[in-house]
Amino acid sequence: MTQVLGEFIKALREADVRISPSEVIDAEAVLGLVGYEDRMLLAHGLSQALAKSDADKEAFWDVFDKFFAFAPFTPPEPANNAAGNCDAEEQGPDDQADGDDEEAGVTGMASSGGSGQGSGKATGKGEGKPGDKAGGDQDAGMFGAEGESLTMAEELAQLLEAGDSASLALRLAEAAQQAGLSDIRFFTQRGMYQWRILQLMGSEELGRWIDQAEGGSNAAAAARATRLRGLRAGLHEQVREYVETQMQLFAGNEGRRLREDMLASQRIGLIERSDMQIMQGLVRKMAKRLVSLHSRRRTKARRGTLDARRTIRANIQFEGVPFHTIWKRTKVDRPKVMLICDVSGSVAQVSRFLLLFLHSLHEVLPEVRSFAFSSNLGEVTELFDNYPPDVAMGRTLQRFGGSTDYGHAFRDFEQLALDDVDRRTTVIILGDARNNNGDPRADILQTIQQRAKRVLFLNPEHRSRWGSGDSVMPIYAAYCNRSISCGSLKELERVVTDLLRTAA
Amino acid sequence: MTTAIHQNAPAGDQARDGLRAANDAARTPSESVASIHRLLGAQGYISSEAIATALFIAQSLEKPMLVEGPPGVGKTELAKAVSAITGKPLIRLQCYEGLDEAKALYEWKYSKQLLYTQVLKDKLADVLSGAEGLKASVARLHEFDDTFFSEEFLEPRPLLKALWEPEGAVLLIDEIDKADDEFEAFLLELLSDYQISIPELGTIRARQKPIVFLTSNNTRDLSDALKRRCLHLHIPFPDQALERAIIRSRVPDAEEKLRAQLVAFVQSLREMDLKKVPAISETIDWARTLVLLHARELDRTLVENTLNVLLKFQDDIERVGEKLNDLVGKAKSNLR
Repeated sequence: MTQVLGEFIKALREADVRISPSEVIDAEAVLGLVGYEDRMLLAHGLSQALAKSDADKEAFWDVFDKFFAFAPFTPPEPANNAAGNCDAEEQGPDDQADGDDEEAGVTGMASSGGSGQGSGKATGKGEGKPGDKAGGDQDAGMFGAEGESLTMAEELAQLLEAGDSASLALRLAEAAQQAGLSDIRFFTQRGMYQWRILQLMGSEELGRWIDQAEGGSNAAAAARATRLRGLRAGLHEQVREYVETQMQLFAGNEGRRLREDMLASQRIGLIERSDMQIMQGLVRKMAKRLVSLHSRRRTKARRGTLDARRTIRANIQFEGVPFHTIWKRTKVDRPKVMLICDVSGSVAQVSRFLLLFLHSLHEVLPEVRSFAFSSNLGEVTELFDNYPPDVAMGRTLQRFGGSTDYGHAFRDFEQLALDDVDRRTTVIILGDARNNNGDPRADILQTIQQRAKRVLFLNPEHRSRWGSGDSVMPIYAAYCNRSISCGSLKELERVVTDLLRTAA
Repeated sequence: MTTAIHQNAPAGDQARDGLRAANDAARTPSESVASIHRLLGAQGYISSEAIATALFIAQSLEKPMLVEGPPGVGKTELAKAVSAITGKPLIRLQCYEGLDEAKALYEWKYSKQLLYTQVLKDKLADVLSGAEGLKASVARLHEFDDTFFSEEFLEPRPLLKALWEPEGAVLLIDEIDKADDEFEAFLLELLSDYQISIPELGTIRARQKPIVFLTSNNTRDLSDALKRRCLHLHIPFPDQALERAIIRSRVPDAEEKLRAQLVAFVQSLREMDLKKVPAISETIDWARTLVLLHARELDRTLVENTLNVLLKFQDDIERVGEKLNDLVGKAKSNLR
C-alpha cells in the first residue's frame, strides 16, 4: 500500500470513520484505477470505497480537503507568478503521482504555482534544481565543505533565500515522514516533532553556521547570516503550523475521546457544569446507537402453536401432506414506560440525563410518560417532548424543585396516573430514597408493582449507603423487581439497554 | 450436475456492451468517466460526476454498488439506464419484510418432483428386473443419476436468474432496507463472490458476473458486512443546473423559460421545512403536467392548481400555499 493512502486512511479513522481492511484493499484498487491526475475523480472514487454512510461521507470530505491540501508555505516575498507557472509546466513530465501536487495544480494557487513537485512522498525527486546545484558548488566554501549534512544546511539556506516554497514544502513533507509525524498522539508531542523535523531539514546545522558567521570577521557572511536568521525564524513558524494541522488530522479526536470516556464513567453528580454540553452530546450519541440497534420490530416465533391456515396453504403443492410447518409469530411489544424522577437538588442532574435519554429514544420507545417530583408530583412529558433539554429541565425544576417527600409524591402519582399503569407498563423510579423522615407510603409502591409489568428503582447512591440516615431504600427495594445503583452515564446506558432488550 | 463457470464473454458481446467499449476506447480514467456520462445522457439519464465515477469504478472493479439517497432522485432509474447501455437484461428484485430465499433465489418444483417419484415407482420394476436380492437392487438404484434434485426441477427466482444469464445481467435489488436482517446476511455470498450455494446442488457460480445495484432509502442502517462488500454512492438532490439538464432531457417539450422557472421553484421548495420535499421524479411529473396544460411560464393560479403533483401531504400543500406569491415571484425573478 502506498504510504499516502495509508496515512489518509489513518486520518479518516481518526475522524471516526470505520474502515475495514477489505475496504482498504478496495481503496487501493480505486487508486490504481483513477490515479492522482484528477482530484475530483480521486475524491469521488475514494469516497465510494471508504465512506459508507451520510456521517462518514461528511467526515470523508472534511479529511480529504485537509489531507490533500497544499502549501504550508507562504514564501517571504510574493513569488513571480509567471515564473512559478512556467516551472510547474516544466516539471510536469517527471511529476510523481502524488495527491499534494494535484491540489496545487488544480486550484492553481498563484503563490504555489511551482509546487508541481508535490510534498507528500519521499520521492527523492525535485530536490535542488540545476541552479541550486551550481549555487551549492559556489558557496560550499562557506561551510568548510565538511560533509553531507552541511550541504543540506546550505541547500536549505539557498531555498530560503530563493523563496522556493515548492521545494521547501517537499523537504518539509519528507522530513515529516522521516520523523513519523503521522504517529503523533498528544499535543505535548508537538515540540518534539517540530524539533525533529527541523533537524531533518538541516535547520539546526544552519543555525550553528549562522551563529558562527555572525560572530566571525567576514562581513559578507555576517550580513547573509543576519538575513538567514530572519528567514529561519519564518521557517520555524511554518513548521509549527504544519505540525499543528497534521496533529489535528491525525490526533484531533484523541483528546475528545479520552474525555468522553472519562465523563461517561464518572458519577454524574460530580461532573462540572461546563461539561454538561459534552454530556448531552454523549447521551444523544448513545441514544442514536440504541435506536439503530433496536429500531427493527422483533417478532418471536411461538413454538408450539401451529398457524393452521398458512400451513395448509403452503402444503397444497404436496397434496396436503404437511412438509412445511408454519408457526405462529407474535410481535414483540414495545415497552410502555412511566418514569418517576426525583428532581430535588441531590439527584436532579441524574434525573436530567435519564429524562433526556429516554426522550431521545422516541423512535423505539414511543410511549414514555415522565413525572417529576420533590414533594409535589406532576407530569412533564410534554415539556421534554417539545422543548430543548435545558429549557425543559429549567421549567421542571422551577415547578417541582424543593425538599423531598416521597410519600406525598406517591400519593400524587396514585391520583394522577395509577389507572394507566397496566401489565405492559414498566415503571422506573429514579431517586435517592431520602425521605426526610416522612412516611414512605410503600403501600402505594406495592399497588403499583402489582399492576405494572415491573418496577425498577434507580438510586444514584452507592449500595453501601442505602438505608443509612433517612434513606428508606430497603423498604422500597422490597417492592421493586430490581433496584439498581446507578450514578454514571454508563450505568444509565446499561439500564436503558436492558429495558429495550427485555421488552419481550 | 452442471455448474457454470465464469467465462469471458466472446468478443461479439463486448462490442454490444456499451460500458465496456467506452472503457476500452478511453485512454485515461477521466475520459472513461466522461464517456460514461455521455452514454447515460443518451439514455436520458443525466448524471452527476459522482454517479459517473461510481459507475466507472464499480464496473472496473466488478463490485456491487449500494446506492442511497432520498426517494425519487433516480436510484432505480440508474440501473435501468445501465441495463439499456449494456444491452443486458434488467432483473429486478423488490425487497419487503418477509422476503425469503424461496422467493428471491430458487424453489424446487415440488409438484413435478412428486410426479417424478410416481413415474419412478411405476418404472421401478423395469429398472430392478434381473437384480437378485436386496443388495443387488440397491446397487442397481445407485447406478441411476440423482435427478430428483437437479437443475431440471429448479425454479429460478431473480437472484439465480441473474447468475444464469449467459451474457450477464443487470441485477437491481431494490430497497434492501425493507428486507429482514436475515435476508441481508443471505445476500453476502452473492455480493462478494457472485455465487450461491444450494445445499442439494452445491455452489452455483455466475456464468457472467452481473452488474449489481442495491438501493436503500436509509430507513434503517444496513449491516457493516453488507456495506463492506459494496461501493457506496450517495445521490443527493441535484443542483439547479443539473436539474434543468435533467428536465431538458426528460421533458423536451417544456420551453426554456418554463423549465428554468419550474426548476427554480422546486429548488426553493426543497429549502422549506416540509414533510416530504419534492424529488426529481416529482419535478419531472410536474413539468409534464405543465406541458400538457400548454403553460409557457409559471403563474400563481397555475401553480396552485397543480401543486398536488409536487407535494404529497395536505399539510405541505397548505404551508406552501401561504407563501405561493413569494415563491412564484422569486422563481421568476431569479432567472438569467
